[in-house]
Amino acid sequence: MIEWFQQNWLLVVVPLALFLAFCIIGLWARRVLYFNLDKHLTRSGWGGRDVLIQTTRGPFFFWFVLLGLYVAIAFSSIQDDHKALIIKIIASVFIISIIWLLIILSERLLSIYLSEYKSVERTAKHVMTALRSTLIIIGLLILLDYWGWPLTPLILLIAVVMLVVIIASRDAILNIFSGFEISASRLVKEGDFIKIGSGDAGYVTDMGWRNLIVRTPDQHTIVIPNSKLVRETIVNYGRPLKKAEEPFHFYTRLSLKELTGLKATNLIALVNILKAAPDSIVYYHTHHFLEEFQYLTPEPANDFALWIGDALDNPVLSEKLANIDTFEFTSLGSLKAALISVIEQYMAENPDIRFTQAERDFHFIKVVNVIAPTSYFASDLREFVEVLRKITLDSLYYHVFESRLRLQRRSNDFSVWIRDSFEEDDLAEKIDNLVPYTTTLEGLRSVIIQLIEKRIK
Amino acid sequence: MNDTVISHYKTRLEEYQPIVGNNIIDELKLLGSHLAGRKVQNINSTFSGGGVAEILARIVPLLQQLGVDATWDVIQGDDAFFNVTKKFHNALHGRDESITTDDLDVFMETSRRNNESMALDADIFYIHDPQPIMLIERKKSLGGKWIWRCHVDVSHPDKVVWKFLRKYVVGYDATVFSSPEFSQQLPSRQYMISPSIDPLSDKNREISQSVIQSVLDKYGLDNGKPMVVQISRFDYLKDPLGVIQAFRMVRKGIDCQLVLAGGTATDDPESTQVLEEVRENAGNDPDIKILPIPPGSDLEINALQRAATVVFQKSLKEGFGLTISEALWKSKPVVATAVGGIPQQVRNKVTGLLCHSVDGAAYALKQLLSNPDYAAWLGKNGHEHVKQNFLITRHVKEYLLLFLAVENPSEIINL
Repeated sequence: MIEWFQQNWLLVVVPLALFLAFCIIGLWARRVLYFNLDKHLTRSGWGGRDVLIQTTRGPFFFWFVLLGLYVAIAFSSIQDDHKALIIKIIASVFIISIIWLLIILSERLLSIYLSEYKSVERTAKHVMTALRSTLIIIGLLILLDYWGWPLTPLILLIAVVMLVVIIASRDAILNIFSGFEISASRLVKEGDFIKIGSGDAGYVTDMGWRNLIVRTPDQHTIVIPNSKLVRETIVNYGRPLKKAEEPFHFYTRLSLKELTGLKATNLIALVNILKAAPDSIVYYHTHHFLEEFQYLTPEPANDFALWIGDALDNPVLSEKLANIDTFEFTSLGSLKAALISVIEQYMAENPDIRFTQAERDFHFIKVVNVIAPTSYFASDLREFVEVLRKITLDSLYYHVFESRLRLQRRSNDFSVWIRDSFEEDDLAEKIDNLVPYTTTLEGLRSVIIQLIEKRIK
Repeated sequence: MNDTVISHYKTRLEEYQPIVGNNIIDELKLLGSHLAGRKVQNINSTFSGGGVAEILARIVPLLQQLGVDATWDVIQGDDAFFNVTKKFHNALHGRDESITTDDLDVFMETSRRNNESMALDADIFYIHDPQPIMLIERKKSLGGKWIWRCHVDVSHPDKVVWKFLRKYVVGYDATVFSSPEFSQQLPSRQYMISPSIDPLSDKNREISQSVIQSVLDKYGLDNGKPMVVQISRFDYLKDPLGVIQAFRMVRKGIDCQLVLAGGTATDDPESTQVLEEVRENAGNDPDIKILPIPPGSDLEINALQRAATVVFQKSLKEGFGLTISEALWKSKPVVATAVGGIPQQVRNKVTGLLCHSVDGAAYALKQLLSNPDYAAWLGKNGHEHVKQNFLITRHVKEYLLLFLAVENPSEIINL
């Protein structure tokens, strides 16, 4: 053995020396390279500096070790076929180490990058799994190719499988990437109040890897696919405004006309019936036009004025009755008294008119009101405005007209809630001062929305 | 229940959404949820023909979609029975009819047979028109709420017939009329529900210009000349001769054409006579087209209304006159007489022009033909008026409210 070594010592020492030389070069290169890299990355302020350096330092040296082994084996006296096998093994280890490094590095960098976006945590896990699988497959294919295995059928199989997977989950893939785009752009965050192109609006309660979850004021949960969201026009109103202790619950009022069978053919009969009429009759004949002629501005006068003008052909008394400002009254009793007073005063001044036969009868009608809670709630002014856009005119009518006059609350429900919940006395008063009888219900809705929007802008 | 009739008209509630809006449909669903599972049995005298059958065929499926267990049945009767009820119908409209004791016996005998044979099972029994009115006699044994829906103009009913029917009307928990003029002095509560049109029916849905043109070509109508159209059956009460007279007054100064289109009934000899008189009166006037249209020609009526420059409804007496709502829905300016339910649809100078005479009709027609912008404004208002007040969704809503009202006597019902 010693004799063999004395004769062939160069065959051992040279590869060993080469191996050690590469190890030393590796240590030196790593030191120089990582020193400069660290300096450069520190200057750039890149968040992945530590991960990149810590993750690649070890493998960098390891690759020099592998290189040293490779060169040592190449210069050794090992039989050629053995030498080739060992070199292949070294190359394979190199390929595996590269793939392993790429997997570790990408996972760590992605973790750092996505840690800022809590909302896509689940998305990130799925992306990492997909990335890891892809890199392993690529590494496997390179190794197989390197070892001379026939790859064409395998690649075809993988391609077909990939194609099927991509087609089957194209929406999911699209949603995932759209989710990244939404998160990265930071245009929408959990807790924001958003409104999408379809008109739906609400608070973002969850940002998933495929969908955005929005809770609407009518307590519905809307699931919006991320891919749809990136194509939509989104209005983001930002974080919630001050919340009311008690949310505003929107009600609606639906009415059915009830015929009383009572009819007047002249003024005296009209007054006599009116005197005994319940509030619901007075209410119907002074308010129904608001709903039946919602498209008209200005809206027609009350039924008494119209009948006296048309059927009794008495424009003077008609004008006097039309000029009674319903908004001034806080009870139907006082409104009724005012109507009767105007007619009686006119009859006193013009006694001949009392029994003049009308062209057509005045039929007294009242309404049965069905009041029902809707599914709409508003806990702040932003939600309130959005609900106001959506509710029916019946609902608007209930909160503005019914509460004020028929239910004798002296103010509309909106103003009461705004005043009590937010101490927004100025806004509440502005809404309270709107005269709802001189505009259409749609016009009224629009003005209230404008007032609130101006306040919360 | 005739499922064939129902399924023929089975329109999904959601199909009305683009027309009336989401919130209206939501409101119907809200009301429906409070009546879910409630059995409502509608009963009238026929599954086909006439406005009542048409309304029920469309409304019953919508009520079902809203969760109401609505059904529809008809009573049985022979020719003798229906001849008597036809007399009742005319008499309630105010026409002179000689109703004999035999007639009343026929009516009561058939009604008794129906009372014995008809399967009744509901929470609310909704009885339409006078034919099945005597079913109320089973109220005592069946219980439930009973509503009588009167689709007839009873503003000036024949006293004998009304007195006879009133005995049964007073047994109902509620009565429903189409117009305030029809209300009566009754001990029970009376509600007003106006008829409606279905915007998705062949008579009212949007149709293409090519379909309109094909109908005009079929009847040899000139698309380039202003067209005045009255759609109604040939009946003296629709005053077709008055329409021709008014048209001739206007044509002296304005080049235009008149179309009188409508049906004749084989069992109504009067309509054939009226048609002959109208033809005779029109003579060979090339600008006057008399078009007897067979029943079911809804698409043709739709096309004629859409092609019209002005729509006429110069009735001397009218129940409700839904042809006006049909015309207004198509944004057409309307000239109509202020009778029956017409003033509910035509508010003078707002959604159309009302008249009271041939001269008034001619004057209104001249105004509209000479002022297309004004005519368009009236038509636009008319469309909105119908949208808010005379569409089937409003009708369904009021049916639901009625069911709630008969079960809750209060003026304010909190759900």
